[in-house]
Amino acid sequence: MTERPAGEPLVRLSGVNKWFGELHVLQDIDLTIDRGEVVVVIGPSGSGKSTLCRTINRLESIENGEITIDGQRLPEEGKELARLRADVGMVFQSFNLFAHKTVLENVTLGPIKVRKQSKADAEKRARELLDRVGVGHQADKVPAQLSGGQQQRVAIARALAMDPKVMLFDEPTSALDPEMINEVLDVMTSLARDGMTMIVVTHEMGFARRAANRVVFMDGGRIVESATPEEFFTNPTSDRAKDFLSKILNH
Amino acid sequence: MRITRYAAALAAAGVVLAGCSSEAGDQAEDAAGNTVDVQEDVEFEAGTTMAELAEAGTITVGTKFDQPGFGLVGPDGEPEGFDVEMAKIVAAELGIAPEDIEWVETVSANREPFLQNGQVDMVVATYTINDARKEIIDFAGPYYEAGQDIMVAAGNPLGVTGPESFPDIRTCSVNGSTPAQYVQTNYPDAQLTLFGEYSQCAEALRNGQVDAVTTDNVILTGLVAQSDGDFELVGNAFTEEPYGIGIPKGDDEFRAFINDTLEEAYESGTWADAWDATAGAITDTEAPEPPAVDRY
Amino acid sequence: MGVVVENLDLFWSGFLRTLLMSVAAGVIALLLGTVLAGFRVSPVPPLRALGTGYVNVVRNTPLTAVFVLVVFGLPQVDLTFQNYVLAAIVALSVYTSAFVCEVVRSGINSVAAGQAEAARALGLTFRQSLGTVVLPQAFRTVVPPLGNVWIALVKNTSIAGGGFAVADIAFYGPSIIRDNPGSALWVFAGVAFFYMVITVPSAIAISRIERRTAIVR
Repeated sequence: MTERPAGEPLVRLSGVNKWFGELHVLQDIDLTIDRGEVVVVIGPSGSGKSTLCRTINRLESIENGEITIDGQRLPEEGKELARLRADVGMVFQSFNLFAHKTVLENVTLGPIKVRKQSKADAEKRARELLDRVGVGHQADKVPAQLSGGQQQRVAIARALAMDPKVMLFDEPTSALDPEMINEVLDVMTSLARDGMTMIVVTHEMGFARRAANRVVFMDGGRIVESATPEEFFTNPTSDRAKDFLSKILNH
Repeated sequence: MRITRYAAALAAAGVVLAGCSSEAGDQAEDAAGNTVDVQEDVEFEAGTTMAELAEAGTITVGTKFDQPGFGLVGPDGEPEGFDVEMAKIVAAELGIAPEDIEWVETVSANREPFLQNGQVDMVVATYTINDARKEIIDFAGPYYEAGQDIMVAAGNPLGVTGPESFPDIRTCSVNGSTPAQYVQTNYPDAQLTLFGEYSQCAEALRNGQVDAVTTDNVILTGLVAQSDGDFELVGNAFTEEPYGIGIPKGDDEFRAFINDTLEEAYESGTWADAWDATAGAITDTEAPEPPAVDRY
Repeated sequence: MGVVVENLDLFWSGFLRTLLMSVAAGVIALLLGTVLAGFRVSPVPPLRALGTGYVNVVRNTPLTAVFVLVVFGLPQVDLTFQNYVLAAIVALSVYTSAFVCEVVRSGINSVAAGQAEAARALGLTFRQSLGTVVLPQAFRTVVPPLGNVWIALVKNTSIAGGGFAVADIAFYGPSIIRDNPGSALWVFAGVAFFYMVITVPSAIAISRIERRTAIVR
């Protein structure tokens, strides 16, 4: 992989449009994310924020516009796309751990099948990552034996095992019981501190304030505002953002 | 038994109704051509099968539904053929009109059970008389004498002469049939392919998958007639296959009655007319000399 | 009953041929049907069309017609099976694979969509995600319906003996009845018994496998 010029953003979306049938879910999205940047995407439900996140590794296709990762355009299908996806880690709302495999196998599957690592190397690294997210002693259990918070931390380890250039988090704490949210957010915060490039779709405003470099506010399929957390939370410019924040912060 | 009779009567009534309302049905009967004279005032000794059947006004007959010239059901659903005509002749002597006959399809494997269980009153279904069968049912007739023969591709390219050729050729017949048994017993080295139907043997012969088809000459003659000149008969019948009318074991009065009826049909020419209208028309052959009935 | 015992050697050799056809066609149909199911959920439209077309044509054709096509149709394009056991295995595999395909496809659809998404997000290709993530989970849910397909296949082999020149269990029935008039019921009971020698243990094995492979979700 050749080094990109320093100014090149890691992820770039330009003029992206997507429809679900009649519904125009993403409208003229332009967004760039730099190396090491942590971007939190917030907005009301149905605003298109999850869809935006899922277009970045093409779990959702787009009708027009362009998405590049590390200067490379997202291929449409096939092996090329698979190779690119390997560099983009993804954490889902519902964890999506492989139900028939142990925790350890969940983490080693990608490195062995995609990165062609030896089983021993993959397992060594997987155990390190599981220790790092605090579930090292659960390695031989199957996902159903773990709590939601533990499963989501395994899912983060699984994504990290691929040494991704960027991590996508699609509402990673929305399916968790309240007492488990923090254990996941703590892992994410420490990842952010270590310089991982992250795009996080979330309702956790505390995490946005604490860890984000930038907050992107979406509504009705458009990016309405893009600002530092400080600016956004203290002085939102758009009425829609003000309205949204007032509803959230009243809780 | 009672239920079977009752159902048969109902079904026969249905046939009559259908016959009245359907012109196509009438035409089909005309096409069969062989109008038998139904006896008007029949009288039988009380307690005999004949009296029972005449009283009921219907008879259930098992026949083949897939044997051109003998028993074949056409698009109208009514069986036609030489066996069918034989049944009509017997029924007529009982005062039962052809449209009051209840036809049941019998295949080789179910002929005896149907007779034993009383599901049919008689079986006229290219049914070869033999001693093993006589142990559990009885036969009237024979009313026709077939013989096993061989059918080959037109021009007889392998020079098949008769059964002595079996060891050198690939022969096809039908699984479980008497002709297959003949080959297996007398020519154990023969390469015998056994399908479920003779039409499939004909297809295999056409494809060159086999060299010959063997069974009763009347069946082969029908296949040759349908083959557009692709097949020919070797014409050297090497067995005797007397076709009889199967009835339940021990009903000697009924057997004698059918034998009498057959002999009358030989005399009156009804038998020859039946041949000409059915098997004879398909194979383009004259009615042969009828075989003598065997009153064992 | 005597007639069955007297002809035990025939029944036994027929039984072995039935078992051979069942196992061979079962293995081929399982592989072919799984590949076809992969086609049916593939992201490549022509493969999807091929899978769907195959299933719709084959599944809606009577097995006897498939046999006729293989035994008498293929020779017309110079593909003749002189070995009718082989022809039967081909016909049975072609036919059964369509049913396997639909069973496996329903199994694939029963696996949560997120499983395949997670696999793809890791960079697994479609085939890898199908093979390592989706199918292993799908097969656990399809053990009972696949068992039904297997049992149907075992009984369907009787078409080969009944009409297409294969000396299997069903084949000897008519000739034994011919040689022993009046024995039809016992002979058919014997035929049924020998099929059950395969199907009943199969059914037991299937429910064992089903219990053993059940997964916690």
